Amino acid sequence: MATLIPPPPPPQAPEKVDYMDLPTPIPYEEIHREAMMSLKPELFEGMRFDFTKGLNQRFSLSHSVFMGPTEIPSQSTETIKIPTAHYEFGANFLDPKLMLFGRIMTDGRLGARLKCDLTENLSMKANAQVNSPNLYFKVLIVCLINVKCGFSSSFVQLTNEPHMSHGMFNFDYKGSDYRAQFQLGNGALFGASYIQSVTPNLSLGGEVFWAGQHRKSGIGYAARYNTDKMVATGQVASTGMVSLNYVQKISEKVSLASDFMYNYMSGDVTSSFGYDYILRQCRLRGKIDSNGCAAAFLEERLNMGLNFVLSAELDHRKKDYKFGFGLTVGE
Amino acid sequence: MSSGRGGVSLPDIRGSGSSSSEGILTRVTSSINNSPIVYKGKQAAGDVAFVANKLLRSTGKAAWIAGTTFLILFVPLIIEMDREAQLTELEMQQASLLGAPPSTLK
Repeated sequence: MATLIPPPPPPQAPEKVDYMDLPTPIPYEEIHREAMMSLKPELFEGMRFDFTKGLNQRFSLSHSVFMGPTEIPSQSTETIKIPTAHYEFGANFLDPKLMLFGRIMTDGRLGARLKCDLTENLSMKANAQVNSPNLYFKVLIVCLINVKCGFSSSFVQLTNEPHMSHGMFNFDYKGSDYRAQFQLGNGALFGASYIQSVTPNLSLGGEVFWAGQHRKSGIGYAARYNTDKMVATGQVASTGMVSLNYVQKISEKVSLASDFMYNYMSGDVTSSFGYDYILRQCRLRGKIDSNGCAAAFLEERLNMGLNFVLSAELDHRKKDYKFGFGLTVGE
Repeated sequence: MSSGRGGVSLPDIRGSGSSSSEGILTRVTSSINNSPIVYKGKQAAGDVAFVANKLLRSTGKAAWIAGTTFLILFVPLIIEMDREAQLTELEMQQASLLGAPPSTLK
């Protein structure tokens, strides 16, 4: 009987929850980040080499080379692949208050990201992407304008190619037990989301968005329950999407994840199951899904700052097999 | 015997033989060949062969899919777990051999 006495105190402890002092929830858009981390590794096909060199404490340059086949979207069921090779140059500025990332690729893509904390609770994120496959000079001009005048000028340029470019502003407000976000994008895209901690473990949130260019609007709800051993999330949106995730942390090194996606409009159902092993020398992620697709992603640490990456994906139904290897140097 | 010949001329010879109805052997074989039991047996054998072939092919395909999936998902995991175990063992051995010195060296 003595062993049965200890259990009562734990139920008492949750009763003492101070509902005015709940933890800050995770941002709405990152609600299923644990599941994404295990189930959506960056699979690639071909060869990649990434090199990051820090010039000083805050500034770093990155170079990356990619060679391999890339898929071309087509109407037919068979995938068409063409061999490509490109080089990407990036510049990063990292500071606790301000983060700037710029990327330019030889195929004419340019991306810029900014994240800065305006006040203690309010932070801003901006994202811009320009795709112009044959206009290198234009991209360079945009790049120069960007450097000189900031982001607003790049939007002027973006309007010339409405379908190829994106621009997005996010404002995040972090409260003591809630987070709110306002989103502004080109193509008259507006969005807002709010997430609130209800109990120490449970948080509930909702979002609305309106895309003026496509005359579409939607509303979504999400719930997230997390303890230190598991995370379960559910999300429903008026676009017909239902998504459920469950991640179980078996130990510090091992976690298992599963997810279920259902689209009411198209009737698509997919579910996947994956594992995530974080060992001292490597990180290994594997998953298998209901479309008959098995994938594995291995990151092996060869040396300090030298990582070897192996990626494999088998799609038995489409007979599409993708294998890739890469090397990451620096950081 | 006519059967000894073979080749292209065989159908001609057999055709002439059956019309004259001279050989008992050919009559017996033809009656056996035309009997319903043999016909059914042949059909059953054909069906069995067909099903067996299908079964073999589908099990082969299933084994192929299962094997390749295993190769992708679990073989790297086994190798890495083994490496991890070896590393831990090595560390344990070093710790037990050297005892305190590593901490003083570091």
